[in-house]
Order: sequence, then structure tokens, then C-alpha cells
Amino acid sequence: MTLCTKINRALLLIAVSVLWLCPPGWAETRQPLRIGLGEEPRTLNIWMASDANSNNILSQIYQPLYRHAPGETEMVPWLAAGPPEMAADGVTYQVRLRPARWSDGSAFTAADVAFTCRLIKEFKIPRHYSRWKFVDQIEAVDDRTVRFILKEPMAIFLTRSLTIPIVSEKEWREVAASARKQKKPLASLFNHTVKRPLGTGPFVLEKWHKGAYLHMKKNDLFFGQGLRIGGRLLGPFVEEILFKIYGTSDVAMLALKKGAIDMYWQGIQPGYIENLEQHPEIRIFSSERSALYYLGFNLRKPPFDDPALRRAAAMLVDKSFIIKRVLQGYGSRMDSIIPSGNEFWYNPNLTEYGEDLNREQRIRAAYRILKQAGYRWTQPPVDDSGKVQPAEGLRLPGGSLMESVTILTPPADYDPHRAISGLLIQQWLRQAGIPASSRPMAFGALLQQVKARHDFDAFILGYGRLSLDPDYLRIFFHSEFDRERGWNMSGYHNPEFDRIAEASEKTMDLEARRLRIYKMQEIIARDVPYLPIYLPREIEAVRTDRFTGWVQMLEGIGNIWSFCQLSPVN
Amino acid sequence: MTMEIRRYILGRLFQITLIFFVILTVLFLLFRLAPGDPVSRMVDPNMTPEDAQRLIEQLGLDLPMWQQYLIYLENFLKGRFGISFHYGQPVSEIILNRLPNTILLFTSSILLAAFVGVFLGKIVSWKKGERIDTWVTIGALVCHTLFLPWLALIIIWVFAYWIGWFPLTGMISAEIWTDPSAGLLRKGLDIAHHMALPLITLFLIHFGSYLLVMRSSMLDTLREDYILTARAKGLDEATIRNRHAAPNAALPVITSVGLSLAFSINGGALTETVFTWPGLGRELVFAVSNNDYPLAQASFLLIAAVVLTANLVVDLLYAYLDPRIRY
Repeated sequence: MTLCTKINRALLLIAVSVLWLCPPGWAETRQPLRIGLGEEPRTLNIWMASDANSNNILSQIYQPLYRHAPGETEMVPWLAAGPPEMAADGVTYQVRLRPARWSDGSAFTAADVAFTCRLIKEFKIPRHYSRWKFVDQIEAVDDRTVRFILKEPMAIFLTRSLTIPIVSEKEWREVAASARKQKKPLASLFNHTVKRPLGTGPFVLEKWHKGAYLHMKKNDLFFGQGLRIGGRLLGPFVEEILFKIYGTSDVAMLALKKGAIDMYWQGIQPGYIENLEQHPEIRIFSSERSALYYLGFNLRKPPFDDPALRRAAAMLVDKSFIIKRVLQGYGSRMDSIIPSGNEFWYNPNLTEYGEDLNREQRIRAAYRILKQAGYRWTQPPVDDSGKVQPAEGLRLPGGSLMESVTILTPPADYDPHRAISGLLIQQWLRQAGIPASSRPMAFGALLQQVKARHDFDAFILGYGRLSLDPDYLRIFFHSEFDRERGWNMSGYHNPEFDRIAEASEKTMDLEARRLRIYKMQEIIARDVPYLPIYLPREIEAVRTDRFTGWVQMLEGIGNIWSFCQLSPVN
Repeated sequence: MTMEIRRYILGRLFQITLIFFVILTVLFLLFRLAPGDPVSRMVDPNMTPEDAQRLIEQLGLDLPMWQQYLIYLENFLKGRFGISFHYGQPVSEIILNRLPNTILLFTSSILLAAFVGVFLGKIVSWKKGERIDTWVTIGALVCHTLFLPWLALIIIWVFAYWIGWFPLTGMISAEIWTDPSAGLLRKGLDIAHHMALPLITLFLIHFGSYLLVMRSSMLDTLREDYILTARAKGLDEATIRNRHAAPNAALPVITSVGLSLAFSINGGALTETVFTWPGLGRELVFAVSNNDYPLAQASFLLIAAVVLTANLVVDLLYAYLDPRIRY
């Protein structure tokens, strides 16, 4: 036997041994719930976590005082024992807490709540501070009661402030003390490495094997266990969860079909649905989202500083076409900045630009608006006989030729829907003679151009997850936020809107606030600083052969209610 | 070591230091001049302009560029690579966590591809013009030009999903590694099991280039006088091929393998993404796209240092293996 033959045989033997020793489903004695993630979480530090995957993991651990429940308009008490009691002065609130324990066995007390809120205020923690800066005093009245005194009445206090995750004073006291001594305290707080977060939620982290998986186990000390909250009996009824990471959706879908995961915790593209539907053990959930995808205009300079031009553009954009062709039907048109699924705040009586019009009718409608506003063409889009024709040489009301305008979009590899929508809108605007061109740009660069430099004509962006409280209307369009890195990216200024927005922020009566929010939506629909385009649906797929009990609500099935109610099929 | 070699090494070390300093500076400038910054990507209406400004100050990005550069140089000289903006973790920890995985997969695949490529190149060059030469050469060319993500997905679909011999992706199986009864051997075999498909993919993509280089080099060598002499001495074909031709023909392959091994530390973003292999390549792409300057800079500096050193080592190795070469 030659050396070469010996080597070949040895290699073959090794390969066979490996295959024999490692058949698929090697360790199948346990029944963990297996969830696929599109990316690894960035961090377990709750203050640093700004990505969806970190927040998904941490939402099993850190809990808020109040949260939204499926089918409920109002917040339900979670770590709180009941609704907050508001004093007659309108600025003092008292919250009673449920009896609960941290996952290390120590008692959850009002001191933890007060510590968390003070920490946010002291370190001015980004993304949280704006929701707490109007709170003047936070006191732990006794072990189970917290008192908050606000500087002035604030409508978002319950829905936005009392929904922050509460951390344990024991876990963070030393970290905060050490951060205070640093030159850059906030950076020090952010850079603190959390290995085993201490929480009050239904699961505790057992291990994070970086780059591979996260292992969570049922928290036997979960305060909600056996309780009925929001009309649901809470578990958890699952002993452990394994979060696995998949670099591409293609492989994640194979994993789902093969049974390597029970759920893929990331919205899936409509293109996968047909194939997944052929597998009887896979169920697809299509849920409403609280999101907004829109075309934004720069109102600080011509030509989009003219509302007539923006209305004409709104008339030309065929939202239904985008939903049917680009989103393959998995979405709905948006006419308000507030998604229609947010039923309490959504104003259903807004101007629906171009609804039910065909292409030619849209061009005629846009032509009428522009002509009335003083625009002229070398060759108008509609001739004297009313026939639609290619438009050329659009002139502004002042007589000057309209220069080309650019619609900035994220690139197709980041979001194909927005990139293709940009191309379609470019063509539609050109039909009325508006010399538009769509330009995909790296996401970070696009945001810097739009948000920091304000150097753009129009852009297509989106908010993937909007809060249910509509305070973002004020943040997007109040003139106070038209500054570098402010969220009023269009540069919209309207004293009437500002006044209503300021009043809405402080209106405690829900019905009165709703009227103001309705009015704000009307003003925005009329002035069109943003043209809402579409609201994609959240499509999620799960296997039904091992676990049952997924709870569908706005934003899909990946929520705490599902994880508290899921149970093994057998 | 002769005086000449010593002088040569010192000269090269000086050059390397100079080039490294240039790379250090260019990297700093490239990332700062690229559009976007780590804060503008945060699309959250709760992030106020004041929050964004505070974050910029905390990250030290509010300072004038020259000041940032001096801090960067000072930190580099002190061996501090900073904290990742994206993970809030020391950059060195992230790199040390990812690098072994990359080295394991990519170094193994390069060595395997080089070994098989050299071996097959040697064989087919000896049978030039015969059917085996034609088919193996065509096969090598086809494999070398395949689009890696496509090949990877096909391999995953066939061997992991359809036949089910291998796990779909990843480096380890969560079920096994969370099983308290799983021992070291089982965990080691689990890694090998997961490594099989990415290794096969990388092998298929790379072995062709080594084969073609070796074949071409062997064909040149066969025309040399010492091969004719060996034949005249009456040596058998295998001895001429393995002892006389192959060692001389392998020199270009050594250069190629040396540099490939050096570059292997940056992994391959595509391979690591499709196979969800937790390596440095994927991290590098994330770092660049997320404007995570400390992580991206440190990763590129590491690659630069290894590649520059590998160049020197390959040159010295070349002189050692081929006594005709003198510096």
C-alpha cells in the first residue's frame, strides 16, 4: 500500500467517523424554544442597546411599570400594581408596585424605580432623557410606592416615561458611582460590560456564546407567573430559549423548514411566503406595524418650499401601485403620519391625494394644481384638447426654469422597497415635467445629508417602529426641531401647528388630546412636508409542531405576551 | 546570518515601519472623511439633537481633527485601540474573540487548497495534453471562477438541507454546547462538523489557483537542464517529478500561500456571512458600514501589520529555499 493510499483511507475514515458521530439533531433530548435572529445583539447593557436584537433579548429580562397589551387601547400595569394615581395638582403621580423579585432573589422595591429614573436624569441618557427631563422629583415613599412630581402636566408621562425598563439599584449602583468619577461619565456607563443582567422578566440569561447563540432559562421568580394580566394568564410555560444567529434570510428560511428553529424573529420578505406555505407545519403571521415610510421634501429652499408643488407631487405618487408591485400586496397605503393600526389616534378623514385616479387623471390633477399656482411649461403635460403628453421645460411661478431635483433613497441592498419606490416616483414626477432623479446613497451618508447638513431636495426614509403615543408628530414637525440633527428634517415651520403641538403635549384629557392630534394630522396632510407612502406588514413565520400560543398584536408576534404564553404542543 | 542578510532585514524593517505609519494615517483620514458618522445612523425619534451632541462629545468626535489624530497616535503607541462605538466593548476583546475563528477556517482552507492544488498541479503537468490534464485544468478554472455566495448556498442546500449530513450554518451547535453532559471531544467534533461545509466551499474556490500556478511552474521547470540530467542518470519518473522538479516549481506557490495566509486573518465577509461564521471579516464590514472607527481601524491595522510581516518572511523564506537568491 502506497503512502498516498494510506493517507486517502485515513481521511475517509475520519470523514465517516465525523458524520457518524454528529448526525443532525444530535442532542434532541431537551425541548428548548429555538428562535432565529438576523444579527447578533450588540450589547446586554440596557442603556447602550439601540438595536432591535439587543432590545429583543433584553425585553425578556428588564421590565417596565406599564406596557401595551394586545387589543387594549390603554396601558396595562405590568410591574405597577394599578394605574398611576394623579393628584389634583395634575403634576403629582403615585404608582403602587406589585410584589416582585429580581432574578437573584433580592426584592424589587420602589428604590429601584427611583434609582432608574434618577440615573436617566443624572446621566442624561440618550433616547430616555427626553422622556424624563420634565420630571422634577422622584421619591420612594415606601418599599412599594413611588411618587413622581412633574414640572408641568405632560401627556406622555404614562405612555412614554413610565414604560422605560427598570434596572436593579444593586446591579447599577457601583457602576454609576464609578462612572461619575470618570472624565466622560456617560461613555463609562455605556461601556460597562454586562454579563448576567439582573431582571424581573420571564427569562434570565444563562449564557451568551458570542457569535453563536444566547441561552435563556425560565425565571422562576418572574412576578407575573400564574397571574392574569391584560386578560391573559402568564407563564412562562417554556423552560428555556435558544437564540441562534443566521447571517442571511435564505439560510434562516431553510432552518425554519428543516426544524432547526421554531421562529425567525425578523420580518421576512414577501418573496419567501409562497415557498413557506407549502410546509403544513409552518404558519405565517402577517401583522400591522406601527411604522411610517414616506417621501420628505426640503421646505427650506425652492422648489419644494412651495406647497402647491408638494401637493402636485402627492397627486402623482401612486401609492397603491407601490404596494401592489413593490410590496407584493403586503402593505397598506398611508395618508397620515400616524399608522392606521393606531386606531385611537389615527385620523381617518384626511385628504387622500389621487385616490382611485388612473395615471392620466393623476397627471391632469397635478397639472391643474401647478397651473393654478403659476407654473408654466414649454410643453405642458396636458395639451389644449385635454390629452396627456410628455411634459418639458417646467418653469417656476417666478419664471425661472426648474432645475433638476434629486430624491435621495437608501441603496437597494439596504432596503429594496425604498430604492425602487424612488425610481418609480422619479418617473411619475417627470410625467408632469418635474425634472426629478432618484439617487441611492449609503444609509449613514443619507442621514447625515438630510438630518445634519440639510442639503437635499427630497428623500425617502422610514421609521420602522413608532411608539403608539403620537408625540412624534410634534417631534417631526415642530419648528423647534428644525436644527442640526433635529427630527424636523423637512424644515417645516407653521406657528399654528406649533401652538397645537405644544398644547397637545400638555393635554391630559385623552379626548381633548385626540382632537388636537387629529388637527395636527390635517395640517400635515394639507401642507405635505412629508408625503406618507406605505406601511409594510410585519410578516413572520413560525413552526407549529413544537410550540403553540403565539400572541399576535401590532408589530407582530415577537412580544413579551407570546413568550409568557407559549407552551409545548405535547 | 550573513552581514548582507542582517542589513537587508534592518532595511526592510525600516520600510515596514514607514509604510505602517502611512497606513495608520491614511486609515484615520479615510474613516473621518467618509460620509456619515456613528450617531446619525440612530433613527429613533427619542434621540434629540442634544442627545446626539452629547454622544458625539462622549465619543470624542467633537474635537478638531488634528486633536483626534494626536489622541489616536498616542493611544496606538500605548497599545490602546479604544472602545467599539457599536458594541461598547474594548476593540482588542472583540478582535481576540473573532480572530481565532477566522484563522481556524481560512488558514485550514488555504493549507488544504494549497496542498491539494500543488499535488494535483504536479500530477497533471506530468501528463500534459492527456485527458486528465484537460479535465482537471477545466475543473480548476471553473471552481476558481465560481461566485462564492452562490456556491455556498448551493452546498448548504444540498448537503445541509436536502441530504442533511451537515448543520446549516454557524460554528457550533447551541443544543450541544448547552448540554452539560457534552464533553470536549463532542464539542470539538461539533466544530469540525460545522466547519466542513465552509471549508469545502473555500477549498473549491481556492484550490484551482494553486493548481494552475503549480502546473504552469512545473511545465517551465520540466524544460530545465537538470531535469534532462536526471533523466540521463536513469532516475524513474516519480523521483524526477517529486524530488527534482516539484521542489523548484513550488517556489511561486510558496509566495502565493504565504501572502494568502497573511490575508486570511481578514477572513472573507461573504463566506462568513453566508455560513454565519463568527469571524473577523464580517465584523470588519459591520464596523465600516456602522462608522465604528475604533474597531475598523484596529482591524485594518492588524491586517496591515500581518501582511507586511508576511511579505518579509516570504522573501526570507524564498532566499532560504532557493540558494541562488541573494539579498
